[in-house]
Amino acid sequence: MPCALLGDRASGKTTFLGLLYAAQVKYGTGVQDDFRFHAPIASLNVMSAVYEGMKDGRFPSATLKEEITELGFIFGYLRKIVGKLPYYIRQQNWVRPFSTLRFSAYDVSGEDIEEFIDTGIASRPLIQQLLKSVVVAVLVDCSKMTTEIDTPMYKKMLRYDSTVAKLLVSFQTYKKQEYDRLKDSGVNTDPPRIYPVFVLSKFDTLRDDVLARLGLHRGFPENKRQRKEYAEALLRVFVPQTLSQIRGGKVAGVSMDKAAYFLSWVRTETQEGMDPVGQARIVRTGFAPEGGGEPDFAYDEYVTFIEHFRDIAHKIPDEILESEKFQAQAMVRSA
Amino acid sequence: MPRVVIVGDRNSGKTTFLGLLYTAQVKSGSDKADAFRFHAGFESVDEVTGVFERLMSGSFPDSAAKEGVRDVSFRLGYRRPGRGILSRQRSKGWGSDAFVSFRLIVLKAFENEMARPGEGSSVTDATLRDALGSEAMVIVVDATKLTAADKDPQLVPLRKFDAAVDSLLTSIQHSRAHGAQTVFHPIFMFSKFDRVNPEALRLANLEDAPPGVKKKGPRAAYAKALLDRNLPKTMARVRSRERRGMEFAEPSYFFSWVRTDDAVRGGAERVRLRRSGAVGWEPDYSSDEYLAFLERLWDIAAQIKD
Repeated sequence: MPCALLGDRASGKTTFLGLLYAAQVKYGTGVQDDFRFHAPIASLNVMSAVYEGMKDGRFPSATLKEEITELGFIFGYLRKIVGKLPYYIRQQNWVRPFSTLRFSAYDVSGEDIEEFIDTGIASRPLIQQLLKSVVVAVLVDCSKMTTEIDTPMYKKMLRYDSTVAKLLVSFQTYKKQEYDRLKDSGVNTDPPRIYPVFVLSKFDTLRDDVLARLGLHRGFPENKRQRKEYAEALLRVFVPQTLSQIRGGKVAGVSMDKAAYFLSWVRTETQEGMDPVGQARIVRTGFAPEGGGEPDFAYDEYVTFIEHFRDIAHKIPDEILESEKFQAQAMVRSA
Repeated sequence: MPRVVIVGDRNSGKTTFLGLLYTAQVKSGSDKADAFRFHAGFESVDEVTGVFERLMSGSFPDSAAKEGVRDVSFRLGYRRPGRGILSRQRSKGWGSDAFVSFRLIVLKAFENEMARPGEGSSVTDATLRDALGSEAMVIVVDATKLTAADKDPQLVPLRKFDAAVDSLLTSIQHSRAHGAQTVFHPIFMFSKFDRVNPEALRLANLEDAPPGVKKKGPRAAYAKALLDRNLPKTMARVRSRERRGMEFAEPSYFFSWVRTDDAVRGGAERVRLRRSGAVGWEPDYSSDEYLAFLERLWDIAAQIKD
């Protein structure tokens, strides 16, 4: 099922995908074998190159980012019932052992999206694919969270907020129209739902004074409700349109209430009392029997991110299959 | 979907009003209480977010933004129980009863068109078509143009605007004279009220600031004291009673202002931003008035839905 990862230019998308690749390499090769990862060769090349660079202490280069035209990957989760079957049966394709989610990364400042927002016409295949997404993951760059209103950062965040809010309205409108179309064709189906996810990227760059003034500490809570409150305290200030349109989905007849919040950080080398010159270098963990020389990043958050989609992946196919079945019915009727 | 037309003099602040209305919705729609939700229509969201961005950057809408914002639709709902006769409709959850939709249509070049009725221009037709089918009208009264002298009514600055609004209301009334009984809701929005001439208030024996949004009686009296002098024809029209067709609901009154900073070296005037919460910013504007206005729109749309 299609899922969208939205981010601004230089918001940490490539780094996020590189770290996600690193996390799934570690997590997806565990003993349990209930999660699998796949990516098209072009995306895999980029993600592994990013990962390799990070293992060498480097962030993705601008040249590498330019090579990316379409970056995507697939998460596969072993179905619960299938997991109980003997190994040789569950390996058979006809069992359809894994529920899958197909992620694509989109640059909201890109030409395709800008054109769509300007014209409101989803003519390009990329936009049509984007609008079909059932999961929308929004990257919010914490390094742009500033309280200085006359800075370019403030204006960039303001612009990003507007763009994402407009895209959310587009998603809602598209899903509602599809739902109404099915209903008008006599198809009885559930109201549409989109699963939003927020990733607070570059969380380590968030300024202490911002956290202090919001009464937040640097540690991200583990409890789901507290995570929501923590993240929303930041979103309310820096991307209020986005937050209000996520909530507004309910008003538009498309529930987006099941939002989840994650953060991403990667530790960088700092010299006490000195500002870094040029690109910061990534701190790597020491070598150890269980693996080492890895970038020091929010691994647990990435695992939580991966696990968050397990239930959604199991649930969505049924909804979508039903919807596809109904669409086929509707087409037959109209014919 | 109920239609609300917005009429106002040129540069009376119609686009700024819509931008601030969206700002108020974003603020309420993202706050911790989560008691208010809204959805901006796909067709108008690009324009209205553009105005929001400008206001949040300290700028008033430019001519391109003014040209772009013509027709904005919103759907909104409240979670908390309301007051008065509508309290039961404002359910605690987010059921379909909690939501209402409406379209806000800005009538451009309105006075000129109304001043030459019958000439058959396409603009006149479009203006009238939108207005004739509407259920409510927001009459934006530029407070900087309120008369400050007890002079000849022919010299009142808003005289032409008054005649145009009266003419439009008359047309609406006539168009429904033979139809079923309907109620039309006039809403007066005083714009730029921070820059009202103190003499205009003194002339009407009024305080510097209007009574708060909850004091409906004194507030109505305050507004009427200004409107009777400045928009006498419009006020007479909304007070008129018809036996058949359309009748006017009791008007409601709101006061809009945005604090500004002086222009630097001949540049444009800047919107002053104020702290919102611990670290955020928002235009320094009459947010209470806009929230009350939204509630009024909800009430009107809910009544029409019933």
